[in-house]
Amino acid sequence: MSLTAGSRPDGTRPPAAVEEPTAAVATVVAASAKERAPRKTSKAGKAGKVPFKIRLRRDRTLILMTLPVMVLLLLFNYVPLLGNVVAFQEYDPYVSSNGVTAIFHSPWVGVEQFSRMIDDPLFWSAAKNTIVLFVLQLVLFFPIPIALALLINSVIRPRVRAVAQAIMYLPHFFSWVLVVTVFQQIFGGAGIIAQTLEDHGWSGFDLMTNAGLFKYLVTAQAVWKDAGWGIIVFLAALAAVSTDLYEAAAMDGAGRWRRMWHVTLPALRPVIALLLVLRVGDALSVGFEQFLLQRYAVGAGASEVLDTYVWNMGIQNGDFSYAAAVGLVKGAIGLCLVLAANKFAHLLGEQGVYQK
Amino acid sequence: MTPNAAALSSGPSGPSRRSFLASTAVATAAVAGGMPLLAACGGSDSGEREGTTSGKAADKLLPTFVASTVANPDLPSKNGSAAGYTGKVDLAALKTSVPEKLGTGAPIKIMSPFWGSPPKAGCAYYTALDAAAGTKITWQNQDGNTYGEKLGAVLASSSIPDMVVVPGWELVGKISNAVTAKFMDLSPYLAGDKVKKYPNLAAIPSDAWRMGIFGGALRGIPMPSATAGFITPFYRKDIFDKKGYSVPKSPDEFLSWAKEATSAKAKVWACADLSWTAWNIFGVRGSGTVGWNIGDDGKLTYRVEQPEYLEALEWVRKLFDAGVVHPDDKARTGDQGQRFTAGQVLVYNDNIASWYGKTAEQAASKPDFKIEGMDIFGADGGDPTLWASQPASIWSMIRKGASKATVENALAAADFAAAPYGTKERMLVDYGVEGTHYTVKDGVPVKNDLGNSEVLNAWVMLAAPAAYYAHPDFPETARKQVEWQQRMGAFMKKTSTFGMNIVEPTRWANLSSQFEQLELDYVRGNRKLSDVQAAISTWKSSGGDKLRDWYKELIDKNGSGN
Amino acid sequence: MSLNTQLIRSLKAPARPVWEEPPSKAGLTAKSGFLLLCCLGVLGPLWIVIVTSLSPKPVIDRVGGLVVIPQGVTFVNYTELLSGGQVSRAIMVSVGVTLVGTLFSMAVSVLAAYGLSRPGSLGHRFFLVTMMATMFFGAGLIPTYLLVQSLGLTDTYLSLILPSAVSVFNILVLRAFFMGISPELTESARIDGAGDMRILLTIVMPLSRAVLAVISLFYAVGYWSAWFNASIYLSDQSMMPLQNVLIQLVQKNTEAPTGLQQAVRTGQLSALGLQMAVMVLALIPVAVASPFVQRHFKKGMLTGAVKG
Repeated sequence: MSLTAGSRPDGTRPPAAVEEPTAAVATVVAASAKERAPRKTSKAGKAGKVPFKIRLRRDRTLILMTLPVMVLLLLFNYVPLLGNVVAFQEYDPYVSSNGVTAIFHSPWVGVEQFSRMIDDPLFWSAAKNTIVLFVLQLVLFFPIPIALALLINSVIRPRVRAVAQAIMYLPHFFSWVLVVTVFQQIFGGAGIIAQTLEDHGWSGFDLMTNAGLFKYLVTAQAVWKDAGWGIIVFLAALAAVSTDLYEAAAMDGAGRWRRMWHVTLPALRPVIALLLVLRVGDALSVGFEQFLLQRYAVGAGASEVLDTYVWNMGIQNGDFSYAAAVGLVKGAIGLCLVLAANKFAHLLGEQGVYQK
Repeated sequence: MTPNAAALSSGPSGPSRRSFLASTAVATAAVAGGMPLLAACGGSDSGEREGTTSGKAADKLLPTFVASTVANPDLPSKNGSAAGYTGKVDLAALKTSVPEKLGTGAPIKIMSPFWGSPPKAGCAYYTALDAAAGTKITWQNQDGNTYGEKLGAVLASSSIPDMVVVPGWELVGKISNAVTAKFMDLSPYLAGDKVKKYPNLAAIPSDAWRMGIFGGALRGIPMPSATAGFITPFYRKDIFDKKGYSVPKSPDEFLSWAKEATSAKAKVWACADLSWTAWNIFGVRGSGTVGWNIGDDGKLTYRVEQPEYLEALEWVRKLFDAGVVHPDDKARTGDQGQRFTAGQVLVYNDNIASWYGKTAEQAASKPDFKIEGMDIFGADGGDPTLWASQPASIWSMIRKGASKATVENALAAADFAAAPYGTKERMLVDYGVEGTHYTVKDGVPVKNDLGNSEVLNAWVMLAAPAAYYAHPDFPETARKQVEWQQRMGAFMKKTSTFGMNIVEPTRWANLSSQFEQLELDYVRGNRKLSDVQAAISTWKSSGGDKLRDWYKELIDKNGSGN
Repeated sequence: MSLNTQLIRSLKAPARPVWEEPPSKAGLTAKSGFLLLCCLGVLGPLWIVIVTSLSPKPVIDRVGGLVVIPQGVTFVNYTELLSGGQVSRAIMVSVGVTLVGTLFSMAVSVLAAYGLSRPGSLGHRFFLVTMMATMFFGAGLIPTYLLVQSLGLTDTYLSLILPSAVSVFNILVLRAFFMGISPELTESARIDGAGDMRILLTIVMPLSRAVLAVISLFYAVGYWSAWFNASIYLSDQSMMPLQNVLIQLVQKNTEAPTGLQQAVRTGQLSALGLQMAVMVLALIPVAVASPFVQRHFKKGMLTGAVKG
């Protein structure tokens, strides 16, 4: 994407550094543009024009570079993933001399685990809570780190910046147990606010056991804990924006807000798009420990999400097959969502995770 | 994030059922259950894993009971209580229960849960015990919080340590079956008179041994617990005296007292979540296998079918609705014991061990602090009906295929660990080496820093003598604990499944697991009574009735436990 | 000139570029007010945590929870946590695992991120989807344990590094940044005959210092705070990393089954105080690492690196 694409509403001149490459670079661009041209054509054309062998020779180093990660993932993720075949069984890992051979001794039950899931009202209640919480977090959480990053970035004094940043990171390193305890001490029925109200004749304040407000409460907790940490990637993106761009924009009369709109935000766009796509793919994971810790306060009806459901039904009860079945469905939906979100990003002219 | 990945980030104390059970103790685990206690029906190793073994078939497998005579308790066990020792410690008078070293020094590996930071291999404590017992143990002390995960994974692998400690609360789902598949039958070493080689193991009561029968064979060396080991409702006697409260004697009296005693403004609430006490007041049986009983009408029912089940829940809900339960208990965060010592909560229930724990903990900083156990009253204010808890719920087991030398050394270690109170062996296991780990002052052994860091819960997990309380620093507390159990034990009844280690068929293993959450939600007002009733009828139709038939047959075959 | 005026002067003379207009009073007030609010929102709870970790047990018992107003100070929780012979060794283990793990993870991640960063390269989409799938599908504990065991990694430090060495999320972020570097720069090097490895080392990485710092931090924090793998894969207690040892020290005072004869609590220590001390200790590495990372966040440091 390009910062200067199209006509700029404020009519400023495009910054020189970007639009007028030095002569040397210009020739390179011309040359590479020629070389890259076929790749940018349609899929059919691509396959037709650059033979596989040539592409292989051209990209062999790149493929080699990717290999170590692929090997690690294959070994430590894909091999154990084969264990998910137990989703189609009534798996008992102890039926044989070890857990692997036990797969061959456990009875196959087809899709029974999946139909169990569909028939379970608790599953649907958990799914509903998960989706509601995901939407809330997307709306109320996601923009905050971006706003904070812009705010921090606009601070000029390095000392203030550094201190504010460091302080905002800290809550990320608090465990959920602590976050919940601290919230309980402040907003709970015996907490600071409740006691203060009690002294003034108001009784019965207890935010922590209010099932109706629970979704906002957990979102607030998540913001408190992780919003500050979330700014770090955006700050890295902002560090890569040339001051020349700002200066050029300022020279052309763009004010503070225009510069943010036309220089800062465009620099953040690819990162925002990437994180948004990944967040959508992860829609079914809205948190685990946070909900487990507070499930009793508001009841499972309000607090059960898919991850706590899997934990409760599968892991806690030792029902490996059922846990695997729910996990598979969750993963499949997640993957579909991320691919869809990526498509959507393309439609908006963003790259998303990978190219068209 | 998968739950497993999430566990990576979870902090020191998530309130899982498992850690809750682990923290509220051994006896709790048996009383409240929540986990399917095991058993099996007669047969060989390759035989059926479900069912139980009792009666004559079981007796054949059991070690002969030979009572220990080395140290008689000041308060003998009565009505299923623990025994009590109220004297001081006199090192010179300690007896010997293991006259000759039974271990041959063949190396063995033991995996055991551990709460705390385990000492290094080769530390003074381990060295001294190995030397005394003639063993050579390599400890694999695993974090007690994640022990269930570790146990599940290790049992599914093909390399299992020689000896493994298996707490009852980890026996969820299919791990029950793993016990039969992975651990050996110890009867060739222990059945009948063979146990006499190991005098301290022979002194473990037969009831406890019977709980060690898994899959038709004696596989577990038990850690016995008192059958009158009910969860105790504790109250702050000092505050009760100061305020002139008298101890309530019926559910209604309790509720009206609680309303009077609660003052949110003063940050005082009458009680914590008293569900566990409510079960006892209303005579509701524990969950799991002890939940089944044949009533006077000859009908076999599970706990959730008892009319008292709903009555107990309704009473607890009244407490919550009246606002007399501390808000943090409503949210289930923090440490209820701490709110009790802070005086924010006047009544809470916990394992009876807290009687001593709280007394010792507060003695120095808060001399006025006084904790007392409240006698459990019945639903109508009369005598309660209390259901006996199972006589053992932690076992150590030896892997199948272990060599004779390994088994004998493992049993030697267990025998040493089961030494009764008042012996040199017990002293060494509990306190370490005199001078190195502790000193005795006025008849009270006090651990030093090394003792506190090395003498923790490793050896004590292997086996134990019959339940007892002995607190040389607070002998009165030991007396009170025993006397409370004896008073309450007088109202004790046994369910038809008492004393049987029963493995339910796995297809129903999770049938009742929903009730725990439902109970918590209902009493807190997050579910309606009709939800509970609906869950009960769903339970019946989706397997409860079939499970009843299964239990009926089991009890017909094996005889009733009561 | 007094120190005071010097200080005021240094505060009043920020590194504001000439072209930037001076901030409006209202804007500055709003901005600093908001920042202050954010910081107080963090520091308030942090204060409670620190005070509780420094409070003697009787105080914590009296308050019945976290302590807000300090009433006496003791370092007993910290000495308990740090004095055990275990801790110094565990710190070495944690530092070692974090350093080696972060280096290894960064090496493979940077390679992969670069390898996938050229538009239209052969198989990149297949690789990307294969990678991304692992973000959504998890394997259970038992299969993973059996694999790690059959590779002979249990009871080795490799079990703390290899299974969690790759974070696909981190690779995707790295890749996004690499792709933001203007192709003109890399292509010119290519014309000069530089191979991909040289382009990565001499052009891409120097231009990506900020994101490299961030991702290193992500990996380092991950390795530093991980404890579950160690509790499952390690049996030898002397190999345990710091987090496990700290958790276990807290457990000694909280989690031990009270029914065990042995679990007599020391009475000197409050479990809550210990927990809070562990929290405070957990923040120390952040305080140490933070300046290193922030050095790479100077505005406009990577001038000209981003294509417009």
